[in-house]
Amino acid sequence: MTDHIVKSFDQELMELGRKIAEMGGIAETMLSDATLALEKGDTDLAQEVIATDPRLDALEREIEDKAILVIARRQPMAVDLRAVISSIRIASDLERIGDLAKNVAKRVVAIEGQFPPQKIVGGVSHMSELALDRLKRVIDAYTQRDVPAAKDVWAHDEEIDQLHNSLFRELLTYMMEDPRNIGFCAHLLFCAKNIERVGDHATNIAETIHYLVTGETITSERPRSSTAVRIADVNG
Amino acid sequence: MPATERREKVSVRDLRFFYGDNLALKNISLPLYEKHITAFIGPSGCGKSTLLRVLNRMYDLYPRQRAEGEVLLDGENILTPGQDLNLLRAKIGMVFQKPTPFPMSIYDNIAFGIRLYEDIPKSEMDGRVEEALRGAALWNEVKDKLGASGLSLSGGQQQRLCIARSVAIRPEVILFDEPCSALDPISTAKIEELMDELKEEYTIAIVTHSMQQAARVSEYTAFMYLGELIEFGETSKIFTTPADQRTQDYITGRFG
Repeated sequence: MTDHIVKSFDQELMELGRKIAEMGGIAETMLSDATLALEKGDTDLAQEVIATDPRLDALEREIEDKAILVIARRQPMAVDLRAVISSIRIASDLERIGDLAKNVAKRVVAIEGQFPPQKIVGGVSHMSELALDRLKRVIDAYTQRDVPAAKDVWAHDEEIDQLHNSLFRELLTYMMEDPRNIGFCAHLLFCAKNIERVGDHATNIAETIHYLVTGETITSERPRSSTAVRIADVNG
Repeated sequence: MPATERREKVSVRDLRFFYGDNLALKNISLPLYEKHITAFIGPSGCGKSTLLRVLNRMYDLYPRQRAEGEVLLDGENILTPGQDLNLLRAKIGMVFQKPTPFPMSIYDNIAFGIRLYEDIPKSEMDGRVEEALRGAALWNEVKDKLGASGLSLSGGQQQRLCIARSVAIRPEVILFDEPCSALDPISTAKIEELMDELKEEYTIAIVTHSMQQAARVSEYTAFMYLGELIEFGETSKIFTTPADQRTQDYITGRFG
């Protein structure tokens, strides 16, 4: 796209984009560290994740402030207006992703000393890998303004849903087997749910990118597996 | 809202306009919907003011200027030679960039136009003057000094006096040619508020260099460039998701 006549306007919009990318990077690290902490039972790493969250919150506020200032000073139109509004929306999604990662980290601290079966932890961490992959791709799609890539992220989250679904069943079995398992199983259940919601936020971001570039919202139905819907309904 | 019950008050069809040999408007076709505000935007020299001047045949005042095509007012082509231009300009009023009050009293500024078209007794004239000044949201500010010179008013008041003068002869269409470019923001807001009220009764076209103003006041926007109509549509669409790249570049301040 050609530059604005007023160069500082371009710089302000680029600054918003840079801050989104920075938030994206922090959110990715938080989620992968939280997952690693869960796998290894590493509470120090978990504490680090928790300590990172305020940085993400601060960035979200900075983006909001800057976006409001741009609106006030430039009265942006059309694609510029959408870029500013989108930055606010995406920042809010990324901030939520940070909260979800932080929540996983808190649960790592909470189940310290208990040793949940590796098979289940492995399932949660696999979910997390999938969610991280979507998060990375959607942030890339944002920086590239790549609608097909965003749409691809948007269309495919059934795998996470299915994994969440089977983990849910498995955890139920463990809890029924031995009431002493209920504690960490409940925590793991929430971890899985949190990660599944990271995927949802990635979907939101993909929708925002589509709107930012085309000016239109995605209207068609997203493919979802029916069992995942049922579980999600019960859970949600 | 604009999509329902809209009627074309003015239909511009294949309009071409020449300054001498220079083609200034290239096959313009667009509607002015009744009791709606249509804004014309575009860079200087794009033809938007020319188009406005065709709509009430202002160009007839100048030699070597001519228009081809059709401008239909309620279905009747106003470009035909037999038109009574005085009558036409009574139906299609115009407000200019700089306020142009006559050097006479506030009262006479309004009454002057009415006297051109109608012969009415003083008592009725008083009513018409008040009605026009009220219509232009100026009455409360001038009712105690109707004998004062129109030139003694502030710029914003003078512009509203000019609007009152147009309204006084009960036109059907009002053309605004950058009505606020010489006014401060408060006076501008008053004119914009006034336009909102005026569109209840009149069909309005406005040429403005302020995109924000176009976005604020109009329901339809036409973007013109180099004598061509690039895009015409609902204002809400033009300023959020314009169809043409040139429109987008212009309204976002990217024009080379």
